[in-house]
Amino acid sequence: MLDTLIAGVLRGNVYALGAVGISLVFGVMNVVNFAQFSFFGLGAMLTWFFVAQLGLSFWLSLPLVLIICAVLGLLINVAVVRPLAKYLPLAAMLSTYAVSLILDNTSQTLFGANSRVFPTVLPTSNLHIGSMRFGTADIVMLGITASVMVVMSLFLKYGKVGRGIRATAQDQEAALQMGIPVGAVQNLSFVIASALGGLAGIFIALYVGVADPTSGINTGMTAFVAATLGGLGSLLGAVIGGFVLGVLESFGIYLFGGSSDQIIVFFILIAVLTIRPGGLLGKVPLISSEPLTGTFLGKGRPFRIPKWVWPIAFVIGGIVIPLVSNDYILSTGTQVLVYAIIAAGFTVTAGQAGVMALGQAGPIAIGAYTSALITLYLHVSFWLALPIAGLVAAIIASIIASPIWGVKGHYISIATLGIGIVIVAIIQLIIPMGIQGIPWPTIGDIQLFSAQDFYFIDFGVLVLTLLVMWRIRRSHLGRVISSVGADEIAALASGVRVRDYKALAFAVSAFFAGIGGSLLAHQYTYIDTSIFSMMMSLLVVTIVILGGVNLPYGAVVGAIILIGGLEALRFTDELRIIVYGLVLILVVRFRPGGILVRNS
Amino acid sequence: MKKVLQRAAIVSVAGFMALGLSACSGAASASTGGSDAKSTVYFGVSAAETGPYAQYGQQFKEAFDLAAEQVNANGGINGHPVALKYEDSQSDPKQSVPVAQKFVGDSSVVLVFGDYSSAASIPASPIYTAGKLLQYGFNNSNPDFTAKGTQYQWSSSITTAATYSWTADYIKKQGIKSVGVTYLNTADWGIPAYQAFQAEAKKVGLKITDAEGVLDTSDDYKPSLIKAVADKPQAFVHIGYGPDAAKIVSQLRSIGYDGTFYGGQDEESFDGTSAAEGAVNGSEFVETSSAPNVKAFVKAFTKKYPKETDVTSFEAGAYDALNVAVAAAEKGGITREGILKGFSEIKNVPSVVYGKITFDPNTRRVASPKLTPTTLKGGKWVVYNG
Repeated sequence: MLDTLIAGVLRGNVYALGAVGISLVFGVMNVVNFAQFSFFGLGAMLTWFFVAQLGLSFWLSLPLVLIICAVLGLLINVAVVRPLAKYLPLAAMLSTYAVSLILDNTSQTLFGANSRVFPTVLPTSNLHIGSMRFGTADIVMLGITASVMVVMSLFLKYGKVGRGIRATAQDQEAALQMGIPVGAVQNLSFVIASALGGLAGIFIALYVGVADPTSGINTGMTAFVAATLGGLGSLLGAVIGGFVLGVLESFGIYLFGGSSDQIIVFFILIAVLTIRPGGLLGKVPLISSEPLTGTFLGKGRPFRIPKWVWPIAFVIGGIVIPLVSNDYILSTGTQVLVYAIIAAGFTVTAGQAGVMALGQAGPIAIGAYTSALITLYLHVSFWLALPIAGLVAAIIASIIASPIWGVKGHYISIATLGIGIVIVAIIQLIIPMGIQGIPWPTIGDIQLFSAQDFYFIDFGVLVLTLLVMWRIRRSHLGRVISSVGADEIAALASGVRVRDYKALAFAVSAFFAGIGGSLLAHQYTYIDTSIFSMMMSLLVVTIVILGGVNLPYGAVVGAIILIGGLEALRFTDELRIIVYGLVLILVVRFRPGGILVRNS
Repeated sequence: MKKVLQRAAIVSVAGFMALGLSACSGAASASTGGSDAKSTVYFGVSAAETGPYAQYGQQFKEAFDLAAEQVNANGGINGHPVALKYEDSQSDPKQSVPVAQKFVGDSSVVLVFGDYSSAASIPASPIYTAGKLLQYGFNNSNPDFTAKGTQYQWSSSITTAATYSWTADYIKKQGIKSVGVTYLNTADWGIPAYQAFQAEAKKVGLKITDAEGVLDTSDDYKPSLIKAVADKPQAFVHIGYGPDAAKIVSQLRSIGYDGTFYGGQDEESFDGTSAAEGAVNGSEFVETSSAPNVKAFVKAFTKKYPKETDVTSFEAGAYDALNVAVAAAEKGGITREGILKGFSEIKNVPSVVYGKITFDPNTRRVASPKLTPTTLKGGKWVVYNG
């Protein structure tokens, strides 16, 4: 028992450090910073480079790494995040994701992709309590964390700049009016957060003994959950969240096994958020609409799309492309189309209901597995399995997500992220092996399996999806859902059952996600849970943001750019992801409301 | 001004895409040319050059390039030089499927290596089959890759089932009665591997005190490990890869467990981890082997890549794979059909992994592959006579 507790505290220590950085940036900038995760991996690799390659001492490397991370953080904030945060937090969030892609891949290019042995700079198992051994390294880490926390809280409480940070976190406008240089304060917060991220990275590597350039995302995600658990924006909350999560996770793994790790993490999160919608120490958000989507409809500069564009687009997409393209382009096209279907369906949730759900991989997986299982074992035809997959995804995802609709603000995004991960983890527990030999669609005795066949099927489903979405938007129901997204309080005052309509919108999106999953499953003929990763969820969100959250047809443009673009950039070889990240930042910079944003 | 900037951005992005597409098609058309004396034979490689699996893609590339260089120095395939076309799939089915289409559509490509993971390889298989292009998944240890694949899927990788049945047998033969186990909770590799281990352990009477599924992306395994060794098993088995095994063995030692560690992988981070010293593993390829062809390969490899301190089974597997493909092309001809025919006819192709490779045409896997017990000593795997 004691062993497990100690293991949990050590684990919690790293989460706490990471969570403080995330909470700090969120507090003063209202931006969910995905780039924070990359600093974990970067901190670890830089320290490895200084100590193992250049032979510097660990105590010299430590400040060097912190300085490099801090400078990078400043650069990122000045060049990318702040210019966008001015427009809207959603664009800033997307750009931090692009930054994290660039950072991870640059680190991988510079240091090589291998996992490296992290040098033993301090003894790691020279002390023990019971059979559990730990080392000077662990004590030093706990000590550093504790000192950092004490210094930070004194600084925030008594320091002039620290008070400026707190004031900015409380009310940016008021702080500005009181003469606080908000810009400088935000830069400083970003710098501190990045340095803390680097420090957490060093600690992970020190603790684990192995450093990996892309390791940040997993620990980062848990640190993110810890920050949410504590209450976004609350630094003390972040520390408490980190330790609470570390210890509970440790006991949870002991009781239920390592396979259930992610289920445990997000179960804790959702349970806490359901009881305390603002996290342990955070305030319940007062903003009535979802901060990521609801407030900026008027800010976009729309492209007007004349009516004649539609038939032309239909002819080009449905006739010209399949006629002139080779199988490679068509096959890329099928991926674009499937993601366009998923993303177009998602605009009801993201745009109309104003909920930026981050876990669409969950319903996609349910659809894929449902369709695979019923065609394989019940011999249902693909054409019937397709809508059934959508229905099952909508029903199951809605039931699992039902506790979260009372949660508000950013918390709902994070809770849905958890839902997505939990769904996939549960599938993995029930069906641990991959499913192979998923049948191709047939018409009579003809099997449809070529890239062209799939292109036509996917294109047809996309057209139907867009028609349905258009119909929903024009209907009374659609307008009610939109009212929820535009002004939740007003909607509530008008007697709209906000919670139910959010759930309904989510179910509609889950339906199309399930359809998309079914299409993918029959095209791949093999699925396992590794396909439905968090990256898939992020991709769906990115597509929608890029196209304009409120526009089903914008999702098509988003999918063309994000999936087609990744293929189109093949000529850049290893730099592909870095260039992709840069292109993404440029697009977001100049169309922060999405490429085809619509005026409210 | 703003409008202008905005225009510029959109135009530049569009330009980027167009450039990309034209570059793709440019590459494809350039390869079909070449009417000089002896045309080049192209093999495709679908592997991760970026993303979390880039480490393996990089190892494959180094070995492929070395092998191709050697083949060409020896006159190529009956005078035809060999070259490789790489496509980055990130080992992600979303990309390995279009990559497969790209290779199928590129008539100069006569065989494709890859992909790294089964989750990326198997979804691409139907495309290779439909395109009558041989997919050589030399790294695919998931038995289903060939078992449920067609005559176009071949692999020289030993299956997970074979490796871990062997491991259970071997541990039992060492006089060990009980083991604690961790295995990767992955559908395409870890779970089938553990199931094979479990079945064989049951058969030979090796007691599994506790088995814990873990994730390779996790950093902290202590809670799982504390549980796995709670009943004090005589030895510990980890069914996983190198980087996670490195983390597991260090943390296993740090919770005070001293039994023999069976597992790990010939890979930089595992080999360099001090706690891994003395780990025991069944290997196909032993870098320190005294076999002359292994010695020659290791020498050539470290000469070409002086930065690489270890030559692992990943490089060895890729090196063998290219040589096998060349042997098949020499036997059957340098066309897609020829190579397919060659694969079922080649016998005793020299191999640094197995000594010699002959395929069983029914399973399309290496006939009776052998594993050698090895142990990690001073950061190197050596043959173990325990």
